[in-house]
Amino acid sequence: MKLTKQSVGTFLAKQGILVAFAVFMIGFALANQRFIDIDNIAGVIRSSAILGVMALGVTFVVIGGNLDLSVGSMMSFSTIVVLDLHDKIGPALAIPAMFGLTLLLGAFIGFLVGYLKLNSLIVTLGMLSAIHGLTLTWSGGKNMDIADKSGTWFSVFGQDRLLGIPMPILIFALLAAILGLVMAKTPFGRKVYAVGGNGQAATFSGIPRARIVFFTYLVSAFCVATAGLLQASRSLGSQNTVGQGMELEVLAAVILGGASLLGGSGTIFKTVIGVLILGFIQNGLLLVGLDFYVQYIVTWAIIILAVWLDVAAKRGSLWSPIA
Amino acid sequence: MNLTMKVALACTTAMIGTAAAAQSMTIGITQNNVGVDSYQTTYEQAFIAAAEANDDVEVVVLDAGGDVARQIAQMEDLIQQEVDAIIIWPTNGEAVIPAVRKASQADIPVIVTNSNIAEAGFDFVASFSGPDNITQGSRSAEIMCDKFTDMGIQDEARVVQISGQPGYTTAIERAQGFEERLPEVCPNVELVETQPGDWNREKSQQVMEAFLVKYDDIDGVYAGDDNMGVGALNAAKAAGRDGITFVGATNFAVGYEAMEAGDYWGSIYQSPVDDAEAALQTAIDTINGEDLPFLNYFDTPKITQDNMGDFTKPVF
Repeated sequence: MKLTKQSVGTFLAKQGILVAFAVFMIGFALANQRFIDIDNIAGVIRSSAILGVMALGVTFVVIGGNLDLSVGSMMSFSTIVVLDLHDKIGPALAIPAMFGLTLLLGAFIGFLVGYLKLNSLIVTLGMLSAIHGLTLTWSGGKNMDIADKSGTWFSVFGQDRLLGIPMPILIFALLAAILGLVMAKTPFGRKVYAVGGNGQAATFSGIPRARIVFFTYLVSAFCVATAGLLQASRSLGSQNTVGQGMELEVLAAVILGGASLLGGSGTIFKTVIGVLILGFIQNGLLLVGLDFYVQYIVTWAIIILAVWLDVAAKRGSLWSPIA
Repeated sequence: MNLTMKVALACTTAMIGTAAAAQSMTIGITQNNVGVDSYQTTYEQAFIAAAEANDDVEVVVLDAGGDVARQIAQMEDLIQQEVDAIIIWPTNGEAVIPAVRKASQADIPVIVTNSNIAEAGFDFVASFSGPDNITQGSRSAEIMCDKFTDMGIQDEARVVQISGQPGYTTAIERAQGFEERLPEVCPNVELVETQPGDWNREKSQQVMEAFLVKYDDIDGVYAGDDNMGVGALNAAKAAGRDGITFVGATNFAVGYEAMEAGDYWGSIYQSPVDDAEAALQTAIDTINGEDLPFLNYFDTPKITQDNMGDFTKPVF
């Protein structure tokens, strides 16, 4: 391919967020060489994996034209439940039980949004606090800790490595690959795009809109359960509020990746980039050693810059043509 | 009705009246966010238990669920009920001041528990009951310095700090106490960096991971509470970095266990039961008109691997 102005433009339009990502990485690496240490990079991806896994599921919901603000408190729920059941019925049963309960919550939300056609913002905002209450009721407000921390195999998901790669990274990558394929290559994925892009048109084309929306929430709940498993396994103990506030970070990552809040556009791959940008910003700012009050502001500025670069790349100019 | 009966009736009524007077002390409490962590959950249970054990006291127990607006409404409810004293665990040190003033204007003494309100509101507060967070920070610095001296590295050690949520009085005061005391006891120990862990174990694990990448040589970690301290410990373990002295505050069960395992050096023992009982006692003393210091601290001693046998494992 010849490098014409047009082809560069097309590349930017498609991969603006990647360019932004590369720019930040180079900037932080110049500021502190240790930023690009393989250990540091692996560390950041590992700690981003939990947020990342959740973002994969929410990408389905968002592309399907809805929101999911309940994922943060749902993740607290999964974490607390699996830790509690670990000591009661053993890890081998606790894990499937926790997945079952979390999927039940997802199915409930999916039913309300899909079949009853209730506004997803209201439903999931309500579920955010309802599930928080459920978690507190379950735990009685206490922190949950596994009694015998060194004698359980439960820590493999969060702490072990396979072929030298930390397990959370492998699980995140594997899930991203599978869900990426589902989204891009299967009829289900195409139907999610169709429902999110134009629900009415999708209905007229014979796509079962309610059922598709229902399944996007099941995918989201499955991802949340996986995130809860990673979280619980990583620290073998947890507060009730472990996932609090994560719903907004997840949403930020998904939107940073370019998924439209109105539905119908976005990809799993770009969500992964969005997650990594958030993770590396946090880590990079720490390594640069900025005063932490300033970090909040800089984080915001970088996110805005990334979104701007993305939008600018899509329309081919930095400024809006109709300003 | 003959005269004898009338007299008897009058006497009985008077007696009931006296008995009722002895029991008429009603204390209302509006808490910050029960159930959000084990400390606050245990606090509430201990408070109710202490009130039940005291026949002279009736309590109205409320919880704001972390919501400032709800707490202000609860203050107004308690004023309406004309309780004898109000205990408040502020959801926010600034925003509750008007409600505290209103109670004070209604001649209801207000006792602030656990975390104080902002100074602008001190005029309307009868007494503060809680831990002295600055002293806690100083004591943590002393624990750390003593350990360095034992290890013979008091002239070269480098320390990082993981503080609580920015903007919280407890976080600010503990950091202040630590930062002021450390150079007094160990003038050559360097505090290389401070970052917040937001009272969150996972967040402070991430912060510690970054510290470990950034600094090849870390001898000590001071965390604003044990929950964060254990997060930092997990990061050091995963990175295979040994020989780091971990000191926290508010000894949690996880911190206590890590001390038993020999991974975690020390902390500050702060019991939610003491905290709750001190608040109730302060309220009772205030109603009885006793002379109290404005800042009524309960003691929070040092706990390390050396003396942990003297303390029971925290329930939270």
